[in-house]
Amino acid sequence: MKKFFALLLSLCMILGLAACGGNNDQPNSTPDTPKQDAPAPAEGDKTPDPEPAAQEDTIVIMAPPVTGDYAELLAGWIDGFQKEYPHLKVEVISTAWDDHSSKLSTMALSGEAPDIAEVSYGAIGTYVEMGVAMDVKPYLPEGALEDYDQNALDYMTLDNTLYGLPLYLTIQALGGNRQMMTDAGVDVDKVQAEGWTYEEFLKAIETGTKGDTYGFVFANAAVATGDFVSIFGVGAGITANFTKDLKYAYTSENMKTLLSSVETMVSSGWMPNYAVEAGQRLVMLETGNAMITGKAMPLFENNINKNNAGIATGEAVEGSVEVEYAFLPVPTMEGVTESCFGTVDGMIMLRNNNSTEEHLKNVGLFLNYICSGQRAADTVNQLLLACVCQSGRDAQAGADLGQDPRNAEASTRCIGIVQAPPTGITSEQAANAKTLMDETIIPKFQALLAGETTAEAMYDEVCSKAVALFGADGCETGFIK
Amino acid sequence: MRSKAPALRDRRFRITLEDLNGWAFIAVAMAVFIVMTVYPVASAVITSFQNYKPFGAEWVQFDNYKTALTNDLFYKAIRNTAVYTLITVPLSLVIAFGVAVMILPFKKKTQSVFKSLYYIPAVASGVAMSVVWLWLYDSSPSGLFNQLLAFLHLPTQNWLSSSKTAMLSLILMSLLSGQGSSIIIYIAALMGIDNTYFEAAELDGATFFQKLRYIVVPLCKPTTLFLLVTGIINSFQVFMNAYMMTGGGPDNNTTMIGLLIFNNAFVYGKYGLACAQAIMLAIVIAALTAVQFKVAGDDVEY
Repeated sequence: MKKFFALLLSLCMILGLAACGGNNDQPNSTPDTPKQDAPAPAEGDKTPDPEPAAQEDTIVIMAPPVTGDYAELLAGWIDGFQKEYPHLKVEVISTAWDDHSSKLSTMALSGEAPDIAEVSYGAIGTYVEMGVAMDVKPYLPEGALEDYDQNALDYMTLDNTLYGLPLYLTIQALGGNRQMMTDAGVDVDKVQAEGWTYEEFLKAIETGTKGDTYGFVFANAAVATGDFVSIFGVGAGITANFTKDLKYAYTSENMKTLLSSVETMVSSGWMPNYAVEAGQRLVMLETGNAMITGKAMPLFENNINKNNAGIATGEAVEGSVEVEYAFLPVPTMEGVTESCFGTVDGMIMLRNNNSTEEHLKNVGLFLNYICSGQRAADTVNQLLLACVCQSGRDAQAGADLGQDPRNAEASTRCIGIVQAPPTGITSEQAANAKTLMDETIIPKFQALLAGETTAEAMYDEVCSKAVALFGADGCETGFIK
Repeated sequence: MRSKAPALRDRRFRITLEDLNGWAFIAVAMAVFIVMTVYPVASAVITSFQNYKPFGAEWVQFDNYKTALTNDLFYKAIRNTAVYTLITVPLSLVIAFGVAVMILPFKKKTQSVFKSLYYIPAVASGVAMSVVWLWLYDSSPSGLFNQLLAFLHLPTQNWLSSSKTAMLSLILMSLLSGQGSSIIIYIAALMGIDNTYFEAAELDGATFFQKLRYIVVPLCKPTTLFLLVTGIINSFQVFMNAYMMTGGGPDNNTTMIGLLIFNNAFVYGKYGLACAQAIMLAIVIAALTAVQFKVAGDDVEY
């Protein structure tokens, strides 16, 4: 009898396991709908009916906290969308910034990508190379694209294929303590209105370095080093990974100049000679231990003002001083047209096992809904940025963002000088550029900041790796103006 | 003879109720093993020969292996991992053995207190541990270790961002926070040694170190071999420390092979390449394990 029960229980367990593994039904598919083959991505010649099918469907979106309360905002917008389209259900996968990319990659690699995901434009190439990024044009409502700025759409375009819709164009530059800068002899208003040269910047941080205060602090620990390269790279004329004639830009003369300048800055003692964590640099600004910090965004004005308010109530960072925040452009090197590092974050459409033509049309409908109008305005207002679509700007009109007008003007000016990446970059080029940045430029730059390599040695290493990836003809060797 | 052969064959392939019972009892474990181990390994081997894409992978024969073997970073990651392993594993064994020997003479309750204290880090999540260590390794003058150095009038260190100290920092972290399991295993082994050996040694006038050298070390050899093999396997698969603490930097000096595989798979989407590297790592680990058993395991039975 014991043997019989043992056999019976074992059989039950085996059947249970088999049942778990054998369920291939998609959770969101309707049983009476024959599933069509998922269309291949990036087929721009299809002209399906833009009207959504009235069959029940579930759209999955993956989003990190784009703003502090993005998850709550998203829930409210989804309610509004579902009232308008009751047959469509939207599910949200909320992620943290730290694990967003790896979670998305993992899901995409297993063919279970969400229908829509937030990505920065630099990462689009990876998903195109995986074969999961979709050309969105055929699936958007008619005329939807006319609402978006072409400059922003260019960021979401690779190999002349549009893979998503832009959410916002964010600028990354520097931020400073207005009073300390003024005390150091810097005309802050002029810098905000007209920009400054690298020499002026060096003089300012030299004067601003006193006692426990550094003239300049940049978050440079671990992967944050990449921001240093990108932001100061733009000041040196490297506005994108590739030049207008699609040659790799980090092998140009500008890179050599940039690296030498950074070498000078590091050895000067006007910035810490140790690694600074991302959160630490803001604390140093709030406590008066840093005059200028980076990377900085217009949004930091809110953080600083909140900390200022907390000084009286004891909620501020320990040792805080009153700081008047100034958003600053990145210094421009000689012979280079002034620019600002800008990046577009947007929502891309991804292919998964559930991707049928009808489903993709529904996804396109929601994608456009989430990236435009009041939704875009609500998102961008919290980031103290300007919308990249007309409907968003209309909704944004008259909103009081509580921003210092000088910072607002500096921000608008910086957005105006951002240069979009050149069109025609292939997904392979984009993916290789990312690999080169992560595997060679950032690690070598970390060594340069630690004083363990020279600018020349780093430049030679970058050039040798770039030539191996893009070929000698694919690399820029001259000076980019 | 001719007539016996079919009879033997029949007996060999005849399935009895006893056989069925045996298979039934191991069926669940087998199913789990097949689903959770055999299938992923087989899938990884297949994927290593593909330019993997979730919708339409392409066969690329040995291209992923060629790419891995011609990539400088792959060798650097192997070298980093080997250095990490060569330092952490033997030192860990010495530390665990030493602590276990020191704990053994105490009463049972005191032993339990020490065992619990040493095991606490193993209970904490790797991420939480890394956050604490990041705080300890804060490179600014206010960092805890830097304050200690300043107190001793020594220059402060850029712990995780200098290639001179980054690997050392990871090794130190591993040595100071990962010995709990080994200590408990060593204590169990020490407690299994019959007291008569020690009594006989004492009658012969053996010193503490002689007892250690001629009784404890030889009788703990199976345990040492077990900890050595598992330690090397775990060390070659190390990922969390480098991922959380340094991201592989500076200048890829702490990029371990596990981190490289993770980056290729989940950051760059090069899943085929990652699988090829993982298969090569598995071969290296298997070879090392075989060598260890050959060299040190001749007189050890499992």
